[in-house]
Amino acid sequence: MAQHIAMNTLDAVRRPIETANGLPNAHYVDPAVFEVEKHAVLFANWSGLAVTADVPENGDAKPIEFLGIPLLLIRDQKGQVRVFQNICRHRGMILVSEPKKIEGAIRCPYHSWCYSTEGRLVSTPHVGGAGHNTHDAIDKSLLGLIEVRSHIWFETVFINVDGNAAPFEEIHAELIARWADFDQPMHHGGVDSTFMLPVKTNWKLAVENYCESYHLPWVHPGLNSYSRLEDHYNIDEKGKYSGQGTLVYRQLTGENGAVFPDFAGLDDKWTTGGEYITVYPNVLLGVQRDHTFVIVLEPVAQTQTREHIHLFYASPETETTLRTKNAAQWKDVFTEDVFVVEGMQKGRNAPAFDGGRFSPAMDGPTHCFHDWVAGKVADHIAAQ
Amino acid sequence: MNSLQDRLLAAHARGDRKALVDLYTEAADITDHLDTACFYMTHAYIFALELGDPAADALYHRLKAHGRV
Repeated sequence: MAQHIAMNTLDAVRRPIETANGLPNAHYVDPAVFEVEKHAVLFANWSGLAVTADVPENGDAKPIEFLGIPLLLIRDQKGQVRVFQNICRHRGMILVSEPKKIEGAIRCPYHSWCYSTEGRLVSTPHVGGAGHNTHDAIDKSLLGLIEVRSHIWFETVFINVDGNAAPFEEIHAELIARWADFDQPMHHGGVDSTFMLPVKTNWKLAVENYCESYHLPWVHPGLNSYSRLEDHYNIDEKGKYSGQGTLVYRQLTGENGAVFPDFAGLDDKWTTGGEYITVYPNVLLGVQRDHTFVIVLEPVAQTQTREHIHLFYASPETETTLRTKNAAQWKDVFTEDVFVVEGMQKGRNAPAFDGGRFSPAMDGPTHCFHDWVAGKVADHIAAQ
Repeated sequence: MNSLQDRLLAAHARGDRKALVDLYTEAADITDHLDTACFYMTHAYIFALELGDPAADALYHRLKAHGRV
């Protein structure tokens, strides 16, 4: 598959921003390159899968397909969120086909092998013949559910599918430190604070657009009316993460001047500051004094992405009207971006497009992401 | 026994796992044949496990007593 990617194009991406090109068309339209990136970028790193609020209570289980892999997100009976491959170790049957509460054990619907919510195989009915539930050849201690390496941060469930990435806390140590102020309880706003946008674009274009503020005055004129371009700054930590910040975050107010409660003990810089950063590869985060958000980009196919958006607050109790207004406001903003990411996707079918050029002043965060992706793909090819 | 079978089929049809625990236990209790009893007990045990029903413990120990788990 590596023959689909010319190393010189990756080198061109990794040049200094002044002379770099973006990733070429194939990285957005070619299913073979999508397959390479699936392994090199999405399976080899800590990809976002879900948020913990998807399984709020002990025993909650939710089947999720990630790039074709059937997974089971579950909160075990002790409260730990885990991710398993959603298959029985017997005949590979899908264990859970719709979100449900596991009251006791996970029972395979085929031959009823049962697993604990911690993944332990607890029963193999009739495996030794009718009414005989053991067999010397079937060692239950070796046949638990296959757990996928996972890590929770920012109420987001990250997974490392290939199991070879460095620990999450190590890779993202600088970002975790940068946002240490927000290392405190965050409360999902509930059903009115989550929505999904299906977008006809490669997942990387959603990242690229999110990372930069260059487009704000043109695409989000309403946002720009108070949060002007010059009030933003670039965040581009090469090889680590990128995004943008604002110096003029303004709280949403409801009737009678009501606002959301602030997160506790924040540094003064957050009084009017907000930051919007991509946790590479596919999680877009935003922090402000009174609420945060998580966008998990679900890469469905090379030209298809689902954006799962979740809003979080400092308090479990917030005013419904204000919360609904906030969700609607963000939905408007993110919807304004749809024509851009879909338009760039269509543009990738123009054969003469060379990946494009970057504004050295404005596109640093986007180039930072391109550089990271190109590096991961180059490493993957070199290792083969 | 037909009546029990009807009740079992009805419980399966409506997905009533608690009833299945009870009915398979009943089926196990009324047979004199050990393998048949263990077959039914296994079903009762599995549905109890799935439900997190406390009956699972007793059923496990009954099966264990016969070397079936």
